[in-house]
Amino acid sequence: MSDVTISRRTVLAGSASLLASTALPTIGLAQTPRKGGRLVVAADSEPRNLNSAIVASNGVFFISSKIVETLAEASFDGKDGLEPRLATGWEGAADGLSVTFKLREGVKWHDGKPFTSDDVAFSALQIWKPLQNLGRTVFKDLETVDTPDELTAVFKFAKPTPFQLIRNALPALSSVVPKHIYETGKIEENPANNAPVGTGPFKFAEHKPGEYYRLEKNADYWGKDQPYLDEIIYQVLPDRTSAASALEAEEIQLAAFSAVPLADLDRISKVPGLKVITKGYEGLTYQLVVEINHRRKELADLKVRQAIAHAIDKDFVVKTVFLGYAATATGPVPKNDPQFYTADVPTYAFDVAKANALLDEAGYSKGDDGKRFSLKLLPAPYFNETKQFGDYLRQALAAIGIDAQLVNNDSAAHIKAVYTDHAFDLAVGPPVFRGDPAISTTILVQSGIPDGVPFSNQGGYKNDELDALIAKASETLDTAARTELYKEFQKKVAADLPLINVAEWSFISVIRDTVGNVANNPRWAVSNWADTWLEG
Amino acid sequence: MNPLRRFFRTPEAVAGAIILAALCAMALAAPLFFPGDPQAIAGPALLPPFQDWSLPLGTDRLGRDVLAELFHGARTSLAVGLAAAATALAVGAIVGTVAGFAGGGVDEVLMRITDAFQTVPSFLLALAFVSVVGPSLGVVVAAIALGAWTGPARVARAEVLSIRERDFVAGARVIGMHPLEIAFREVLPNALPPVLALSSVIVAAAILTEAALSFLGLGDPNRVTWGGMIAEGRAVLRTAPFLSIIPGVALVLTVLGVYLAGEGVVETTAVRRSLS
Repeated sequence: MSDVTISRRTVLAGSASLLASTALPTIGLAQTPRKGGRLVVAADSEPRNLNSAIVASNGVFFISSKIVETLAEASFDGKDGLEPRLATGWEGAADGLSVTFKLREGVKWHDGKPFTSDDVAFSALQIWKPLQNLGRTVFKDLETVDTPDELTAVFKFAKPTPFQLIRNALPALSSVVPKHIYETGKIEENPANNAPVGTGPFKFAEHKPGEYYRLEKNADYWGKDQPYLDEIIYQVLPDRTSAASALEAEEIQLAAFSAVPLADLDRISKVPGLKVITKGYEGLTYQLVVEINHRRKELADLKVRQAIAHAIDKDFVVKTVFLGYAATATGPVPKNDPQFYTADVPTYAFDVAKANALLDEAGYSKGDDGKRFSLKLLPAPYFNETKQFGDYLRQALAAIGIDAQLVNNDSAAHIKAVYTDHAFDLAVGPPVFRGDPAISTTILVQSGIPDGVPFSNQGGYKNDELDALIAKASETLDTAARTELYKEFQKKVAADLPLINVAEWSFISVIRDTVGNVANNPRWAVSNWADTWLEG
Repeated sequence: MNPLRRFFRTPEAVAGAIILAALCAMALAAPLFFPGDPQAIAGPALLPPFQDWSLPLGTDRLGRDVLAELFHGARTSLAVGLAAAATALAVGAIVGTVAGFAGGGVDEVLMRITDAFQTVPSFLLALAFVSVVGPSLGVVVAAIALGAWTGPARVARAEVLSIRERDFVAGARVIGMHPLEIAFREVLPNALPPVLALSSVIVAAAILTEAALSFLGLGDPNRVTWGGMIAEGRAVLRTAPFLSIIPGVALVLTVLGVYLAGEGVVETTAVRRSLS
């Protein structure tokens, strides 16, 4: 693909326009969107499976959300925090046993076939419920999906399911894929998993492994005049340090998901033409969590867990590991969540003396070498910050006489060691809060989860009271009562410390100021970019 | 002439020896100057060098003392380098002696195994070994030795092949010495000097390999290593380049020192041999 490779001429042209843009005062940034142009974006990974109906994860959404759409997208000011996409309306029955979706008219798949309620029924029953990583929990009681007409889909549940949960799940869990492509053969092996067909503003064009993904404009898109861009290129740049230089050289226009290291942001924010944006990730909050293996007798003791919580200086972590681009955590729901968060939970101030006293009380006194006991600490390798926090935690534990031995693994080995083999004492994990505790948060402390489920309670923690609370909340239909139960849940987790929440962070985008309509929803990087445009 | 004096007459050798001596002093003095954990947080994060004289080389991203890490890193680098080289030389010398002395089928088999190891790039071998077994100091030493023993084995074999034809070996046979005893007590000591001459190259390569493994996150995470320091600093290369440059320079000097000193030794012994 000669029109994608960066020739010397385009680089020269780029630097000429840079000169021009610095010479002229920039006038009127909020103009009407311009049509056309190619947006080049840094991609730090190449997901093997691009089917977001099966793999609901940000790495997949980053690319596939432009091709495959969900029923609704998150929104800053829409009702219930949602904005219609493939569904134009949704309503839950009072008994919690059904949810009715009105679907958008005149939507076509990229291959020209019309989009109907059959596609929604197929996706929900054949993919979200049985196959999707998150849908397996949320849609577990989904029994049938009735399709009285082509534009109505009625979800029927076997047990009352809170409508609030279904609503909160829509942006991430409801990717609709075409029935006519997936109905033959095994869904997991369908070629469309690597070259998705959807209804979105962009069509999948090609993928050159190790080089780029190319998406091209869908001229038949349902959105009026949208999309504005002609093309999106995901340039594969696995090396984090290269994204910053590529931005400066104008080879790419956007580095999302903190592809530019935090330590570089201060410098790069001063480069003319580049903007550092922290908005647009509100719906994708990561939590820095110390996972605890309660099978270790020392860690089964609440006093020891409290001591560890007191030994961690959360402010230091936010300031040093995250360079201020994070917030300290109080419990299992992040502070920026508008629906469920409560600050009224037990907190653990940084207090080494108290931590030492708690450990003495628990009967683990210091040996002659100043050590009380040894632990195996496994920091998750996915983020620089989780690894660095592992280094910090080792030192913080050393200060209270706990000798933590770091064990580094690659991603696959880490997941196996922690979630299947339970070969850890402490682990550092980055679970994601997805707008509702029932989607991916309660699973972190609930008991009875089979071995091998990643990002779940694999620490052998069992608390009947907490399990009962989680069960009750999952079938409470009244939104206010349900919210109250999850506040209770936060208190109990913070009190009993099945895991320790340290900080909450999201991502940073660095972007050329020629890109318009940026960060205009809480999941912007993984939304469909139909309204994104480029200044000429 | 005294070999030691001859060694110190070549300026490169002197430079190498000085560097090595300084390095050894650093490694030995580390626990004296910087007692306690070198990875302890000692000050504000990302303090540049020469700002605060209690932290002369500044601090890294978590506020750890770079100078303390540098000293303790010297211990790891030297320990791994020497241990890996010793292992490689021992294994290589034994394999080479057995192959050369026994000859025939044993020689064929051992030398083909050596060839097989030589065809795989030693770094890849180390990488694969550490990823499978898991990173710890002993494993890293073994992994490096795994790729480095073939050189000594070939040199030892070549040397043994010529020595075993000498009269004193025939004499040993006649007085009824066991072949293994002849191989390891009579032949091997005589075959050693050229094998040992390889040691400087192997030590230098081992230090570099260890640094590269640590850089890739496959070193022992509970020890400070120079490679690990460089990898840590890479994330902030543009804002705090000293974090990568300082351990990088230390690494260059070490390898240079080992190499120069090794060259000096080789030249000294070569001159002595040609004189005799």
